[in-house]
Amino acid sequence: MTAVAAAIDEFLPATQTELSRWMAENAEGTARPVYPAGGRTATEFGKPQRPPGISLCTTSLNRVIDFPARDMTITVEAGIRMDELATVLAGEGQRLPVDAPQAHRATLGGLTATNTSGSRRFGMGTMRDYVIGVSAVDSRGTMFKAGGRVVKNVAGYDLCKMLVGSLGTLAVITQLTLKLKPIPESSVLLWTTFDHLGAIEPALERLVTSAARPIALDVLDARAAAAIANEAGLALPDRRAVLCLGVEGTSREVAWQVDQLVQELGPTGPRETEVVSNTDSAKLWFALSEFQVPSDDPVTFRANLLPSRTIEFLQEAERIGCALQAHTGNGIVVGHLPDSMTTVGAAKEQLARLRERARQARGNLTVVHCDAAWKTQLPLFGDFEPSWPLMQKLKRELDPSNLLNPHLTFSAAGTS
Amino acid sequence: MTTTAPTAARPDIAAEFLAELRRIVGDDGLLVDRDELLVYECDGFTIEKSIPDVVVFPASTDDVVAIVKLCNQYQVPFVPRGAGTSLAGGCLPVGGGVMIALTRMKRIVEINLRDRYAVVEPGVVNLHLTQHLKGTGYHYAPDPSSQGACTIGGNFATNSGGPHTLKYGVTVNHVLGAEMVMPDGSVVNLGGKVEDVPGYDLTGLFVGNEGTFGVCTKIIVRLTRDPAAYRTMLGVFNSVQDATQTISNIIGAGIVPAALELMDQGIVGAVEAAFHFGFPLDAAAVLLIEVDGLEVAVDEEAQKIIEICRETGAREVRLANSQKERLLLWKCRKQAFGAIGRLSPSYCTQDGVVPRTKLPEVLEFITAVGLKHNIRIVNVFHAGDGNIHPILLFDERDAAQVQRVLAASDEILNKCIDLGGSVTGEHGIGVEKINFMNRLFAPADLEVMAKVRQAFNPSGLCSPKKMLPTAGACGTEQIERKTPGRRAAL
Repeated sequence: MTAVAAAIDEFLPATQTELSRWMAENAEGTARPVYPAGGRTATEFGKPQRPPGISLCTTSLNRVIDFPARDMTITVEAGIRMDELATVLAGEGQRLPVDAPQAHRATLGGLTATNTSGSRRFGMGTMRDYVIGVSAVDSRGTMFKAGGRVVKNVAGYDLCKMLVGSLGTLAVITQLTLKLKPIPESSVLLWTTFDHLGAIEPALERLVTSAARPIALDVLDARAAAAIANEAGLALPDRRAVLCLGVEGTSREVAWQVDQLVQELGPTGPRETEVVSNTDSAKLWFALSEFQVPSDDPVTFRANLLPSRTIEFLQEAERIGCALQAHTGNGIVVGHLPDSMTTVGAAKEQLARLRERARQARGNLTVVHCDAAWKTQLPLFGDFEPSWPLMQKLKRELDPSNLLNPHLTFSAAGTS
Repeated sequence: MTTTAPTAARPDIAAEFLAELRRIVGDDGLLVDRDELLVYECDGFTIEKSIPDVVVFPASTDDVVAIVKLCNQYQVPFVPRGAGTSLAGGCLPVGGGVMIALTRMKRIVEINLRDRYAVVEPGVVNLHLTQHLKGTGYHYAPDPSSQGACTIGGNFATNSGGPHTLKYGVTVNHVLGAEMVMPDGSVVNLGGKVEDVPGYDLTGLFVGNEGTFGVCTKIIVRLTRDPAAYRTMLGVFNSVQDATQTISNIIGAGIVPAALELMDQGIVGAVEAAFHFGFPLDAAAVLLIEVDGLEVAVDEEAQKIIEICRETGAREVRLANSQKERLLLWKCRKQAFGAIGRLSPSYCTQDGVVPRTKLPEVLEFITAVGLKHNIRIVNVFHAGDGNIHPILLFDERDAAQVQRVLAASDEILNKCIDLGGSVTGEHGIGVEKINFMNRLFAPADLEVMAKVRQAFNPSGLCSPKKMLPTAGACGTEQIERKTPGRRAAL
């Protein structure tokens, strides 16, 4: 078996047990690096130097184990595709309200390991708020679980939180139990344009004590607005900066909130306001979520900032020519550097400037995607976080031979 | 023999060590008299007791660092403690040593509404933060029933819940970051004031560590908008079965109220005697249901719930008419445990969790267990989460009764496991449920948890013999449960 394992470059286990057995054999045998993969939507992240190893594909682990709909929880294998999961849940009027780009490829395990989210995170939270149980296999093939199948549980350490966002570096997630939410009766987006990004700040300040409770608080620069309107196939005003608010709930409360928000934003000087509802809102939610996917842009970065410092960061990035989406309520920015950024030197210089801004805003900046040749010179993992030494200890305990995604472990100080 | 401070509870704590501790925290920052130490022999879980050798009251992170380093130097175990309201023995100083009481570190360091966070020291009382925020439109969402006493540091350590966690989530859903003094005395900042800090979610992993990963000295918490409106209802049922079926139907209909609590006849009687709310004493169970949100939405949601209650046989559904009535209802619920003294000299409560659809089954089982062991059991619990709190009433002077209570408790918790649930929804493992870890988790699961602790607390000096059955550096010995006892409110 070991010889067979060493000979293949991709392994597609049919069961969790098979995966675990294979991992054990690999660890005891050739000990080749293992690269867990789901829908391969995020495989580009990380250092360019990847020791040759085996891609461990989880897509055959896609069964629904238990869906007690009346408990509003589901237990599924991690390789299930996000669109398939959404269909299963919708059958019972339920959903996992975490936005999943590329849902026709992305797997639940991948979404969890990368802690992917989108505009709804302001009101609905992120994966850490929904994973209540996990099964995983460590680099030595040990299958372990944590949490459970009930919505409230404090028995043992919360390894669910440990694995959410761990990028497949600590263990391979094989099964997840999720807390679910009902699909709301109504979902509407309010698309409001402003003269420029800076003009949105008073509106954001006003929203801190809004009588409404929007679940999404996105700011888009004009480039992103145009790209998103185009992706959604909607004729929306897209020549200016946009504040896009999402409201969900019963039809009555949504209608009330939309009126309320329009009224509250009035004095802050919006130019055009569009209410996007029904099937159009689904298209717009989709486009808002897909914007974070790197395409042929030279660099896609992600910044995490204090919400109050988001606009000034966006202004700086807009000057460089980036296309920008910010989940402003959470201080999360996704930016794509412009095509005009043709040299690594130029990209490096501009990212350094943005990083400095992020630092001033108590945050960080990481590079999600760039040309492989540029990777050695760009700040892939962002600035040194004070807790990195602890993270390294954790990695050493759980994966002492550094077999799992070795290119994704945090270097001492990222790249300067 | 080394000369020890004459007041030391245990002579093997060297005078030199005590003198150095005293230099760090000052004369009024430490307790060594046995009489004073007795207060710290247990928390809200009173079955097992263990007296610390010394209790210190640091005033700053620097103090904590110095204390922890000193403990390392002398190889003395230490355990952090908040208000001591834990119900599972989480801050029991097993084997003695130094108890680090964080109640003097109670500053609210920063409030930032624009960025929706607050920075607090660990000794800040949960309710004080929300009171401090009054009028801003924001509050701190986790609301354990002991919130008038428990500290946010303790909430962080145990991942506390509360009635409104049904809608708003538990402590971990509201913590952005923390400053930790690690077991070796180093200071590490986890997470931050911003979200999605690159790297592992150590903040999430550290919440609920029950003091085994170090001493938390600062917490950054997320603030939540106040709901604009509430509707608080009381559903009255002639059978517990109907009440639990109603819970299942409400959740099954996709309605997540802000809170959904059950009190059975036994507890209603005690609460009524204490607070005179006007509960119907002949009802088998009442449901306390609250919806919150926008004024425009709450009536519609309340109406749906009322309809479900009626369909499942509620004989009456009352709506609280005023904020005063609402607060009284909540007072009755949150102080229900205080009323139990009217029923029995001693009591013991459990903290099991079952999938919400299994509530009728587990409640039936609890009744049967009570009959089988001839122990009276009353119920008041977070029904919407499936988090049961059966309260077993007994007289601790009767040894045979005590044994029956222990047997009944074990049967109930085992049933929770069998039904796909857990043995603790919010109280923690502590020392109380450490024997259940082997039933709930496989050896491989516990081995990984042990490795995680090894990464953060390799010496095992910090909170030894907690959480994991293999806890501590000295092996697997466990504290033996002797008598169940009275518990504090939850």
